[in-house]
Amino acid sequence: MGFVVTSLIFLLIGIIASLSTRIFFNKGPSANLFHLTLVLTSTTCCWMMWAIVYLAQMNPLIVPILSGE
Amino acid sequence: MGEVAPGGGCLPPMDLFRSEPMQLIQLIIPIESAHRTVSYLGDLGLLQFKDLNSEKSPFQRTYAAQIKRCGEMARKLRFFKEQMIKAGVSPKGSTTEFDANIDNIEIKLAEIESELSEMNANGEKLQRTYNELVEYKLVLQKAGDFFHSAQSRAVEQQREYESRHLSGESMETPLLQDQELPGDSSKPVKLGFLAGLVPREKSVAFERILFRATRGNVFLRQTAVENPVTDPVSGEKTEKNVFVVFYAGEKVKGKILKICDAFGANRYPFAEELGKQAQMISEVSGKLAELKTTIDAGLLHRVNLLQNIGTQYEQWNLLVRKEKSIHHTLNMLSLDVTKKCLVAEGWSPVFATKQVQDALKRAAKDSNSQVSAILQVLHTRESPPTYFRTNKFTSPYQGIIDSYGVAKYQEANPTVFTVVTFPFLFAVMFGDWGHGICLLLAALYFIVREKKLSSQKLDDITEMTFGGRYIIFMMALFSIYTGFIYNEFFSVPFPLFAPSAYECRDLSCRDSTTIGLIKTGPTYPFGLDPVWHGTRSELPFLNSLKMKMSILLGVAQMNLGIIMSYCNARFFKNSVNVWFQFIPQMIFLNSLFGYLSLLIIVKWCTGSQADLYHVMIYMFLSPTDDLGENQLFAGQKNLQLVLLLLAGVAVPWMLLPKPFILKKQHEARHGDESYAPLPNTEESLQVESNHDSHGHEEFEFSEIFVHQLIHTIEFVLGAVSNTASYLRLWALSLAHSELSSVFYEKVLMLAWGYNNVIILIVGLIVFIFATVGVLLVMETLSAFLHALRLHWVEYQNKFYEGDGYLFHPFSFSLLDEEDDVL
Repeated sequence: MGFVVTSLIFLLIGIIASLSTRIFFNKGPSANLFHLTLVLTSTTCCWMMWAIVYLAQMNPLIVPILSGE
Repeated sequence: MGEVAPGGGCLPPMDLFRSEPMQLIQLIIPIESAHRTVSYLGDLGLLQFKDLNSEKSPFQRTYAAQIKRCGEMARKLRFFKEQMIKAGVSPKGSTTEFDANIDNIEIKLAEIESELSEMNANGEKLQRTYNELVEYKLVLQKAGDFFHSAQSRAVEQQREYESRHLSGESMETPLLQDQELPGDSSKPVKLGFLAGLVPREKSVAFERILFRATRGNVFLRQTAVENPVTDPVSGEKTEKNVFVVFYAGEKVKGKILKICDAFGANRYPFAEELGKQAQMISEVSGKLAELKTTIDAGLLHRVNLLQNIGTQYEQWNLLVRKEKSIHHTLNMLSLDVTKKCLVAEGWSPVFATKQVQDALKRAAKDSNSQVSAILQVLHTRESPPTYFRTNKFTSPYQGIIDSYGVAKYQEANPTVFTVVTFPFLFAVMFGDWGHGICLLLAALYFIVREKKLSSQKLDDITEMTFGGRYIIFMMALFSIYTGFIYNEFFSVPFPLFAPSAYECRDLSCRDSTTIGLIKTGPTYPFGLDPVWHGTRSELPFLNSLKMKMSILLGVAQMNLGIIMSYCNARFFKNSVNVWFQFIPQMIFLNSLFGYLSLLIIVKWCTGSQADLYHVMIYMFLSPTDDLGENQLFAGQKNLQLVLLLLAGVAVPWMLLPKPFILKKQHEARHGDESYAPLPNTEESLQVESNHDSHGHEEFEFSEIFVHQLIHTIEFVLGAVSNTASYLRLWALSLAHSELSSVFYEKVLMLAWGYNNVIILIVGLIVFIFATVGVLLVMETLSAFLHALRLHWVEYQNKFYEGDGYLFHPFSFSLLDEEDDVL
């Protein structure tokens, strides 16, 4: 689906998650900030991992060689 | 450093990010309300008392006598607990009301203790008498048999003897007491005998020693007793034999008595006449029955008493421990003799001030004292304890960070980011969504049964697992995610999101095993293409991918660490650290390893065949050389030269200026040493005597310089070694997927191949055990440990000082977890 499109999807999911934690778990400014930090960090980590694996497969130098069974 | 007014940090204030602001407060408590005040403060649990009497030994303190009293009561309670456990009574809670007066309880405990000890002593005596009687009865029965059988044989033989008129003795001539025997009394031998019981294992040795000691001049008859008998002296059941020994002469009797005593053989009086024997047996039986009823009644009484104790045990126990801790705390307060009150000092969070004041007011009211306690805040240079307010989700994370080092007062807390990055790095090493689901089920089991399990006493391993249930839950969630990315379900890939991107070069697929497939379709959209599993070039591709991923993740986390150090520097208003530590560190790390990360990404995006090892190494060895086929983008050579220069400048930048600037700052602060600072008039005199005098701060330039040198070398070398250390993410991930693949192929698929149900079931069981034991337990622990190490060392050494101490308030709810000290 393309790198940029999926990255935008991750961004969207991150925004939705932050908004839902603010709506459903509103426990004061300090706790809200903590939840926001957690959501942003998780989204960033997950996006980084996906992006690395995707980029590595975009222009591969090694191709699969079947084991012939 | 309660003095430093914090500046704005990087983020708006967040409770968990920096420890709670603490203040040193001083309480002046009138003596009549002291006990109650401390008790209410213990209920509140937010004040850590300082020991103002630390020079005094435990016996010199004011309340040493009360503590001894409490210790005595605790000893009595322990005694009761032992007795209850022995009798099988378990302490139950009770809803009856409860006399909270400690003096009454003391008297009651003393009463109960004397009663219980008396009962125990009596019970033992009765039991011993009972056992002796049982043994006596056995002796009477068995020995009676001897005499009976011997007598009847003697009568027979006598008849034989008479009928044959033979002279001389034969071996079977019985040696008996003469009364019942009609006949030959040509040898008036005075025989005595002893009867008793000897333990079976010693019976052979007993016989032998008797024989030797008396030169064979005794006759011993033994019979085994079928059931084990309770020995009166030791109280244990042992196998015994009944013996009767016949001897001649008084000296021999003495020897035999001594031997019996040595062997622990109990002797009992025995009468030879038949009538008397029968009478003794019936008497003994009667006494036995009586004793049994008495003993049973005694036991019942004891059990009742213990049950009574059981209902109140927990409450008494809690009260005694509370009293003891209150008195310990009272011992820490100093007595202000002139004003008839106690002075307390302690650390307390700023947010708790109102609660402490409320507790003081209530205590003054409840104890009907004229004056209420006074609270005032002291200013000090001491470093306060670190206190984080955590909930059940964040507290295990805080615990594992605290295991390495408690955060210095108000420095940035690594826990905030660790809550996500720790399970994430675990998952990078664990990635399999099948195993992730198993972990999730285990974590959910603990979380759902949280309330029930937290009140039980669990054994060590289960307790640790239960304590970390939220960490395991997060680890499982991230593992499911990375399992989808690595596309492994118990090592089996699935084309879940789209068909594979690779196809054969032509329709016949001749080249698929030699040159391989080619990428025709769009890149597999989420994760690793499913075609790779089982191919011959899987490992080279995956190794390259995972190594590069490890480097990228590592550089990202280390940059985060350096940014945290910037947040600390800004918070503590330390601009020296910003300009001469943060900036050169960022430049150094990113010009080398940030550049490497950039090269990796560019290589992936362009698909170039450049050799990155070659590029990095020759960037240092011969930076001015032409790159040739290793060129990834235009202007690369010039960029590399600039970066190399920046890195080279950054090293002396972090090493040299800081010590000189610190020296200048110190001279500016303590320029003219002729004036000594005046004591702060707000501090009370008592407080001042307890604090260290900070009049003259030491400043050794050489020490500072060496410290900075070490710090610089550590950072520079650490940049290389820490980046390489992140390669463990690749290593463990490879190990996990290889193990998983071996178990799947060599166990499950092998068993499947036989087409036999029994072999399939056996194979399945072996697969399950191997998966649970090796992958779910061992690999989890291993990945947990390595992810933790990455946090403790590679992430935290960029910014964490960790030399604080924990806030340990006086709280009754923490009493359960403490052992009783002193």
